[in-house]
Amino acid sequence: MKSVNFGIDLGTTNSLIAKYENGKAVVYKNPVGLKETLASVVAYRPERMLVGDKAREYLTKDPVNVFGGFKRKMGTDEKYYVVNIDENVTPVELSSIILKELKKFVPPTEPMEAAVITIPASFDSMQSNATLKAGQEAGFKDVFLLQEPVAACLAFFNETSAKENPAGYWLVYDLGGGTFDVALVKASDEELKIVDHEGNNFLGGMDLDFAIIDSIIVPAIIRQTGIENFNEELRVKYGKFETLYYQVMYYAEEAKKELSQVSDTVIEFSATLDGKAYDFYIPVTRKDLDNIFAPLISETIALLNKVMERNKLSAADINQLVLVGGSTYVPQVREQLAAQTGITLNYAIDPSTAVAVGAAFYAAGKYYEPAVSIGLENDGPLPEITGLPDGITAAVADVDIAISYNRSSRDSEEILLITCTGEYDKKQYRIIRKDGGFDTGLTVLKAKKTEFLPLIPGMANLFTLHVYNETGDEIHSLTNEIAITQGMFNIDGQPLPHDICIEVDDLENKTTKLEVIFERNTLLPQKRTLYREISKTIKKGSADTIIINIIEGDKNSRPSSNLGIGCIEINGKALQSDLVKGSDIEIQIQLDDSRVLSTAVFLVMTQQEFKNVFSLSEKKINISRLKEQYAQLENELGYTIRNFQNNNDDVWEIKASALMAELHTVKEKLFKLKEKDKSDEKYVIAEKITRISQEYDKLGGNERIASLLEEYFTGKDRVQEVINGADFEKDELRKQFQKLEQSETSFINSKNVSVVEGKMRQLEDLYHRALGSTTSFLITVFIEYKTYTREEFKDHNAAKSVIKMADEALQKERYPEFRRHVFSISSLVKSARYNSNIDFKGTGIG
Amino acid sequence: MNNSLLIINQLFEIQQKLREMGKAESFERNFNRLFAVFEEDGFIVQNPTNEAYSDSRTDCEASIAGSLSSKMKITKTLKPIIYRKDNANVQLLQKAVVIVEKT
Repeated sequence: MKSVNFGIDLGTTNSLIAKYENGKAVVYKNPVGLKETLASVVAYRPERMLVGDKAREYLTKDPVNVFGGFKRKMGTDEKYYVVNIDENVTPVELSSIILKELKKFVPPTEPMEAAVITIPASFDSMQSNATLKAGQEAGFKDVFLLQEPVAACLAFFNETSAKENPAGYWLVYDLGGGTFDVALVKASDEELKIVDHEGNNFLGGMDLDFAIIDSIIVPAIIRQTGIENFNEELRVKYGKFETLYYQVMYYAEEAKKELSQVSDTVIEFSATLDGKAYDFYIPVTRKDLDNIFAPLISETIALLNKVMERNKLSAADINQLVLVGGSTYVPQVREQLAAQTGITLNYAIDPSTAVAVGAAFYAAGKYYEPAVSIGLENDGPLPEITGLPDGITAAVADVDIAISYNRSSRDSEEILLITCTGEYDKKQYRIIRKDGGFDTGLTVLKAKKTEFLPLIPGMANLFTLHVYNETGDEIHSLTNEIAITQGMFNIDGQPLPHDICIEVDDLENKTTKLEVIFERNTLLPQKRTLYREISKTIKKGSADTIIINIIEGDKNSRPSSNLGIGCIEINGKALQSDLVKGSDIEIQIQLDDSRVLSTAVFLVMTQQEFKNVFSLSEKKINISRLKEQYAQLENELGYTIRNFQNNNDDVWEIKASALMAELHTVKEKLFKLKEKDKSDEKYVIAEKITRISQEYDKLGGNERIASLLEEYFTGKDRVQEVINGADFEKDELRKQFQKLEQSETSFINSKNVSVVEGKMRQLEDLYHRALGSTTSFLITVFIEYKTYTREEFKDHNAAKSVIKMADEALQKERYPEFRRHVFSISSLVKSARYNSNIDFKGTGIG
Repeated sequence: MNNSLLIINQLFEIQQKLREMGKAESFERNFNRLFAVFEEDGFIVQNPTNEAYSDSRTDCEASIAGSLSSKMKITKTLKPIIYRKDNANVQLLQKAVVIVEKT
């Protein structure tokens, strides 16, 4: 025997499914759109069937093919004639379609043979049996029924303090989107029993929205436009104001939601009525809604009182009033219920999911006999089916499906061809895009079918094709994954061979780095705008420059290892006013089909635009930037050689020294070059620097990368330890640490020494920040500062005074203040460390 | 994340209002910039106005104005489509709220 565990709220308006797991009830979300609720609507569109929200869109426009509210007809002999399929369907069939759709919310690995399905308190035996039948038609071997108010009580008893003393009477007030029910429940030690109930099938949250339209929006429109009969015209199906009607429906619902949180709001929209444009500005307060909602809420309270009176009960006899249904979120409902009934309200759990949650709790205590063998539908040799959890029935394929499509596309949609052989008659398929933005619905399978799959630009679009047999069970062996990459690949076989990057400043490390603009394999043409800040102030008329350097190569490598393909220099002489550090710069980069690069730079502060078009056959070299690149490479090589010496890596040291010697051969020539030099010398030198930089990146090969990574991971543990012991900014430090961790995959995969070294520097910075956030470390540093001589400070008097204040803060245990003072002292200490790259100019782009 | 959605929706609404007033052009660069900032944070915002509408578009919540037709078009967007991109994964975060009419 196995526990049922699954609970289903099969509602008139919306349905949900939940599962009891480890003491909790989990409500499943729709894999398409990720909502917990499924609209209880079925639409028979030409050749396909839609279930849920999408079906609801067609409810009023296509009533002969779209059906909702069929729960009210359960247990009757009512049949709906569907024009599109030329067949009759029953409420039981429609309910079973909803149940089958809910089953799809549950991952296929979870066996689902039995479920608890909730029914209204008012359901008679015929209606209950009809629900049972719908469950069986949906493929449930065993179905258990549970009354909705009892399910709601169970949810509250299990998840709130109500469970402490449940005995006595409870009232369940269920105000949904379109229906209202109130039930009196009696709890004893042994059972929960519905004693009485009342309801109105045409009263719910939508009526509150209509009240806002009728009492606030429509009068405001009439006041402003003077249109006669506007109210009547607004509601005419296919009428001239129909578009506006849907707009105001949306605004009314939004205002209702907003006024649940705040005391006033404004409904603001523009519309053209009878050829004239209007702007509407309609202030609404929560108080306005108090009056408007009062009659509707009073109607529900009258039904509640009727139940109380019939059972000769007063407010004192009721434990609590349990609120169920999304519309009980509305504050006026809660306020008026509390004021008019005098009963304690309980809205401790989500009223939208309470019934499903209660059903799942109930299901945990119900048992069924699971199927022993895998069910088969056809004769013939048994195909081997493995990997299914116990109890999952596998539908077997007697049909073959072939699909063909382009795996890459430049278009906004791509055609998919499905070819079927075998017994495809009465089978259905469904294609869902993984992000939830596309769903074909259940579509009839034919010998040949085509579907147009919409693609999100610039990324891999993943779809899944599911196939279902006559009874709606999925044939898992026919499931196909479809991946179509939009705009990333050139179908003519000419993808971008390298990343296209821009060189930007890395001020923390006093160097530059690459930022990718177009990734390798991107399909041309491409256009992108980058928004950055100016990283240094450039005075009007000065010789300072901003350099927009576009580079082709590997995004993970250092700029000097790659090929510069375009460069714009903007110097102070071209500026109309000073360009202040931090002001915005917009850089538009375009690469056309023929790989011609166009760059447009807009300086927001001076409102100036600079444009340039480069052919990739011409190199553009900025001499001052080249000199800076030389200096950076020389610095890094020097640092690496010292490290090799310290670690006794003799072989690598010899190689690195040889590279350094080669680099020095161009030093003199480079630093003699003038900015306007017309000779080929700069190209020769640039080429050499690039080659040495690339050699340096490869130095030591995988062995050196492995050694650096080992060093990185050891350092990482040390940093984590210090962060855990930090007394200040711990959350911020952890965030930084996590950010670094998240980039691990990409920098490890880069297999590039300079990238790994850059990350190690970041890790080291974080280590120092964490130490600076640890009181014990700050005290040690402070004690050391106190031993410093006059000469070791930039301003000894200032240092003396801050040391005094720090001493006092420390004595009085005012640690944040103490920390600030220690930082101030450190800034007054003379240090050689900050002088190394003080002349760093960079590109001027942050 | 909820605050980001709120800000995106407000920006979208302001942009729509400016369009209706014929003043959007002057602010186009600013809006592009703002939406680019959100895109860097992984929020992809799409305005489906004027796009074809079909019953398989689960990226929109549509109200259908006028009569049904096999060729429908989105004529008004009250809320945009918002996707969340996290590395290679894309997830629909907000469905557009649209009005659809036959073309």
